[in-house]
Amino acid sequence: MLTENEKKELQAALKKYPNRRSAVMDALRIVQNGRGGHIVKEDMLEIASILEMQPAEVNAAATFYTMYNVNKPVGKHHIQVCRNISCSLMGAEHIIKHLERTLDIKTGQTTPDKKFTLSTVECLGSCATAPMMQINDDYYENLTDQKVDEILKNLK
Amino acid sequence: MVTVKINGKEITVEDGTLILNAARDAGFEVPTFCYQADLIGIGSCRMCLVEIEGQKKLQPSCVTPVLHGMSINTESPTVVSARAGVLEFLLANHALDCPVCDKGGECELQDMVYRYGPHKGRHAEPKFKFHEKDYVLSPVIIKNSNRCVQCVKCVRVCREVVGANVLTSLNRGDHQEETSFLRSFLDCDQDGNCIEVCPVGCFMRLPYRYKTRPWDLKGADTVCPYCATGCRMVIEHRDGVVIRARAQLGVGLNSETLCARGRFGFDFINNPNRLTTPLVRKRGALEPASWEEAMGLIKKNFSVGGGKVGGIASPRLVNEELYLFQKLFRTVFNSPNIDSSSRWDPLAVESFVSAASMHEGGVSIFDCMASDTLLIIGSHLSDENPVTDYIVRRISANRRMNVIIASPRAMKLDSSATQLLRHLPGAEDSVLEAIILNLNYDKLPDETLKPVKDARLEALLSTAGALDKEIKAIARKLGASSTVAVIAGTDFLRAPQSIPALGLLKDLLRSRGKKVTVLPALDRCNQRGAWEMGVHPGFGPGYSRVDKKGLGCDGILAAAEQGELDALYIAGSDVASMYPDGEFAAKALSAVKFLVVQDIFLTETAKLAHVVLPGASFAEKEGIFTNQEGRAQIIRKLLPPPGKAKRDFDIIRAVGESFDPSFGPKNPVLVLDEIRKEAPMYGDVSLVFNNKKNIEDKLDNRAALVKGAQSAALKVSRIEPRADLGGAEQFPFRLVTGNHLFHSGMLSRMSSSMTGLLNAAVIEISEGDADALGLRNGDKVSVRGAACEAQMTLRTRKGSGKGMAFVAENFEDAPVARFFRRGKGAPRVAITKI
Amino acid sequence: MESVLLKNIGKPDAHRIENYVRNGGYRALAAALKLAPEHIIQMVKDSGLRGRGGAGFSTGLKWSFIPKDPTVAKYLCCNADEGEPGTFKDRGIMDNDPHLLIEGMIISSYAIGASNAYIYIRGEFVFGARRLEAAIKEAYERGYLGGDILGSGFNLDMYVHRGFGAYICGEETALLESIEGYRAQPRKKPPFPALSGLYGKPTVINNVETLSCIPAIIEKGPEWFAGIGPAKSPGPKIYCVSGHVKKPGLYELAMGATARDIIFNHCGGMLRDDRALKAVIPGGVSAPLLTPKDLDTPLDFDSLAAKGSMLGSGAVIVMDSSTCMVKTAYIINRFFSHESCGKCTPCRDGTPWLTKILRRLEHGEGRAGDVEMLESLCDNIFGRTFCPLGDGAVMALRGALKNFREEFQYHVDHKRCMAC
Ligand SMILES: Cc1cc2nc3c(=O)[nH]c(=O)nc-3n(C[C@H](O)[C@H](O)[C@H](O)COP(=O)(O)O)c2cc1C
Ligand code: SF4
Ligand code: FES
Repeated sequence: MLTENEKKELQAALKKYPNRRSAVMDALRIVQNGRGGHIVKEDMLEIASILEMQPAEVNAAATFYTMYNVNKPVGKHHIQVCRNISCSLMGAEHIIKHLERTLDIKTGQTTPDKKFTLSTVECLGSCATAPMMQINDDYYENLTDQKVDEILKNLK
Repeated sequence: MVTVKINGKEITVEDGTLILNAARDAGFEVPTFCYQADLIGIGSCRMCLVEIEGQKKLQPSCVTPVLHGMSINTESPTVVSARAGVLEFLLANHALDCPVCDKGGECELQDMVYRYGPHKGRHAEPKFKFHEKDYVLSPVIIKNSNRCVQCVKCVRVCREVVGANVLTSLNRGDHQEETSFLRSFLDCDQDGNCIEVCPVGCFMRLPYRYKTRPWDLKGADTVCPYCATGCRMVIEHRDGVVIRARAQLGVGLNSETLCARGRFGFDFINNPNRLTTPLVRKRGALEPASWEEAMGLIKKNFSVGGGKVGGIASPRLVNEELYLFQKLFRTVFNSPNIDSSSRWDPLAVESFVSAASMHEGGVSIFDCMASDTLLIIGSHLSDENPVTDYIVRRISANRRMNVIIASPRAMKLDSSATQLLRHLPGAEDSVLEAIILNLNYDKLPDETLKPVKDARLEALLSTAGALDKEIKAIARKLGASSTVAVIAGTDFLRAPQSIPALGLLKDLLRSRGKKVTVLPALDRCNQRGAWEMGVHPGFGPGYSRVDKKGLGCDGILAAAEQGELDALYIAGSDVASMYPDGEFAAKALSAVKFLVVQDIFLTETAKLAHVVLPGASFAEKEGIFTNQEGRAQIIRKLLPPPGKAKRDFDIIRAVGESFDPSFGPKNPVLVLDEIRKEAPMYGDVSLVFNNKKNIEDKLDNRAALVKGAQSAALKVSRIEPRADLGGAEQFPFRLVTGNHLFHSGMLSRMSSSMTGLLNAAVIEISEGDADALGLRNGDKVSVRGAACEAQMTLRTRKGSGKGMAFVAENFEDAPVARFFRRGKGAPRVAITKI
Repeated sequence: MESVLLKNIGKPDAHRIENYVRNGGYRALAAALKLAPEHIIQMVKDSGLRGRGGAGFSTGLKWSFIPKDPTVAKYLCCNADEGEPGTFKDRGIMDNDPHLLIEGMIISSYAIGASNAYIYIRGEFVFGARRLEAAIKEAYERGYLGGDILGSGFNLDMYVHRGFGAYICGEETALLESIEGYRAQPRKKPPFPALSGLYGKPTVINNVETLSCIPAIIEKGPEWFAGIGPAKSPGPKIYCVSGHVKKPGLYELAMGATARDIIFNHCGGMLRDDRALKAVIPGGVSAPLLTPKDLDTPLDFDSLAAKGSMLGSGAVIVMDSSTCMVKTAYIINRFFSHESCGKCTPCRDGTPWLTKILRRLEHGEGRAGDVEMLESLCDNIFGRTFCPLGDGAVMALRGALKNFREEFQYHVDHKRCMAC
């Protein structure tokens, strides 16, 4: 069930558009942010009923856009390392290996304490400060092994 | 018109013609996957790319209209290599499991690769697999996504034509999968149109699975035996077992679509409970007997003159049989007591036929859809005539037209309406009269209905449960249209006091110079045929005048109940289950001195008979069905009747012959000749149709529409509303009935596919009413009325009117007919949770 | 050249409206609202401004296709999806100087008669989205948005629509589908958005940088704009430089700067002096790469087109001699196949196939005939897809194959890389 705050946020989103369906991306984002980073069946059903859509249509939107994690729980800190061309030129693969080693997980996995999930992503538009990664909403740029260690240490 | 050159050949086509169709008209085949005439073009599969002179890139011919002077090449080397390239890509991730695929042998991908290459596979990379095992999507649909070519027709047909919108694409890129919400079980119309449009073995029929290879099937062109939309289809058998019904692209008004009943409901044909031998009652029980014995009893008990006899023939028989049946009664038994419906009053039928102008000849649904305004009233079209619903949805979406739906229950088609009117059940008369008043009553042709005051309007609005502005908006739309089509459904026959208003509205609009057509939406495949063959106590073949009017079903039962009926011959009707007062019907039928029932199952009615005759299903005979539009269509024989069962035609003829050896004509073809003479509406109706795809056979085969009758003995009678059973405090819901999407009449109950979809009666109320009662969808409830109590499952429907409960007509364990009382209006019920 | 697009970047709190206004912001808007909309369209036409989103279509011409009927609702959509790898200029503007974009959008909306404007920003740009939302709020508070803007009688509402991970949303019709709440698959054209776009209404879609040029054109006049850079693609241009250079970043230069000028004069040369330049991608990964012999090609729409490449989004990616071209091609192709929307066959099934072959090559599992196969598959994709994404994938790969075919063949023959 959506919380009161989430409902309010969704109502605000609905004001932006002439029809309800257009708010589906906002609705999914609101729910994902409020649910520790992923979306489950019940969320989609509820969004469908609020937006007067078919559940399948909500499902369709949720799985088209890669930032929605449908039925894919992620850790508290979702580390997404860019591995596109500019970052790769500047050593992204090395950073990914370093993270795998430090967190002791493979890309795509979550640490047993559910604190970190490690993913790779395509270009995040931060190419001049490569290599870089995004952890939840924030960008971390010009990465080196030491910098990564420090960042991880500061994450609670 | 524009002229273009295709592969050097000049051709002139209409403006806006797609290159694809222009090429096809010019005789060049262009392969396609994602194109389908009835769906909005998406141009995505790229199979149909063609070269246009002066354009650098190949263009998708399925979404590109011709422009004057274009020079198009559909066979150039680039085009040919592009096709092979696209096919190679489609095969890259394809499962290539043709040997175990149900589609093998009739797969469009197979065919195309065979024709257009590549003939050598170059893809040597690991394939992406959506899943390991096929997954079940519903009791009738199973899915294998690994074979998908992403034409998205399944999703598009579900959204654009069926209006269910439960299929969609999940994920993206080469992981895109057309499926349901989280691949979960589908709660939908189960019509399997997704299966039909699928070019490969992705969506498949679950009941058909692994049963056969298409080349081992033998098929017959036929017409669906359920509602009167008249969908053309092919049924196919292997070793005497019918295992598939399918529709074909571009064939019949339904084109590639069918509803669940049509596509999956055929399996009653091979139901092991089919009657295969005559039965006669001996020492109180029905026992197998020979045809001679059965016919002997009939001969003994039916009197050719004097005694009182009656006949009821089902609107599921073909015209030839129905014609012969009425002839048997009128000329051999000398009795005018014949009817084709156990549910409706003959006076109502006559009035309806007249008010709907059925005697003026056939009305094409496509003409209705070309009008400025379409008014749908008295019909729960989405459930009763699903494919009619598809046609309305599909065409209205592509046209600027008004679609006005007036109905007490919400339905799927509501989303296509430009205006919705939720009125009280049974109040079609008030709705129509209020519209008429607004349309300026000074010009009404019928003087007797003229005295109206505004107080009258107030009263009408309140009995209709409608707002003044809603009615005014409808009247305004009608007034501003120069062509109006009305789809008028069976609710007019259930609440016949509304019929005169229908006729009046039609006359009024016509008197204003508008072109008005009325399409009756009927729920039995050959109801219109039954009437037009004269199976009615008040008119003969072609709606002709009869010397002597007789009793309809109700009158016959009343006579029987009084012990005044010597013999009754029922062919194909389950009067005991369907007559709206089950108790009375059973009593009356038991009181008939000699009851003959001819049917394909031992129905509740047959159980009461003295003689039971095994007839044939639609798959076992030839003949003509006339659909609701007045379109005469042939059904062809696929199989012989089972066991000792016979074609109904042969049985009726034999009964006649046993009294009068000259009775005939002796074969259906000659009967047809006689029909053409006796019912001139059928005089030059063309029956040339062939279920093969061909260019001539356009969806709208107008030559098959019946013509107007020269003289029709019909009149609209004023029918007093029947008094309600009362008890509003005790029984808050008004009970209404009709057909269910999965069930109509008796046949569907004998189909294991249909009972697999829904096996027991459900009662449907609006979501709001359910909330107020603290009830939820799926609850088991007790339904109590003055006459009956039964247990059912509750269904809730969003948007339906308040205070109304709907139960479909056809479930033996909770027959809605038992809630009704003869001569009384709609019953009322109370609903409580168990 | 005087900086106009990046002029506020680096100034403290440049994103706050008071600072923007203090630096002369919203003056162009006030001036524009006194002009007739057609007049503004004419100015933009005269300026020679060509879209900075990739295709380089004349902005003024695009606007002039919008029907003039005042009773029909119209929309302006800002394409801030910025997904082309190597590109980060729009983010630069939105993060640091959001009011420049907003002002440009208000003027543009006025010119085309739109009363609703959406900024479609990619989902990863959370910071930018918040900045924009805050800036829009400020603009409302100051009367630059909302009803009767600056007493002109013109009304405009502006909203941020956040994407959520799909490069294809940068394609303008996919972007519209996405705002409408559908899967972002491109629509067929015609009808073009100018006649039937968002919600079926006339719609203009422009890139962030394009719209950000508008205030300067109003203030300094179209002649000023047209006088910068080459006559056929004039104006200031932000180049996004990344890869093996000393000072990667955003550089606002006169259109038509050469790669040599950018790399060696503005960016301080190659990252490592001991490594030579091997290749430059001049306009985002869809653009075929340039080799050192083409370093003096002006980076503008027409000059690059003449060289068989394109300016695209202006993302300059610099690669030195240590770079494996097979790996580069693999990464770029992997991106396109990951982002293929799934609508059309050649792109949906062709790009993953290419990627699988390239991955094998890269991992030393090449097979004889792989290079020819790549070329043949490219032929089967190019020009046959529904939208330009598939073409982009092919152009990039073809560029690499054309210039470095022997490197690919080496991977096949020796199961390893020649460069590293
Ligand atoms: C696959 C694809 C991706 C695109 N991505 C972007 C993008 O991220 N940002 C952008 O402004 N334009 C992008 N475009 C170009 C847009 O479709 C469109 O041409 C542009 O937004 C028009 O704005 P402009 O005229 O101001 O350049 C893309 C086009 C394609 C085919
Ligand atoms: S080229 Fe085709 S599959 Fe690829 S993104 Fe465009 S439409 Fe989608
Ligand atoms: S049939 Fe034309 S693109 Fe599919």
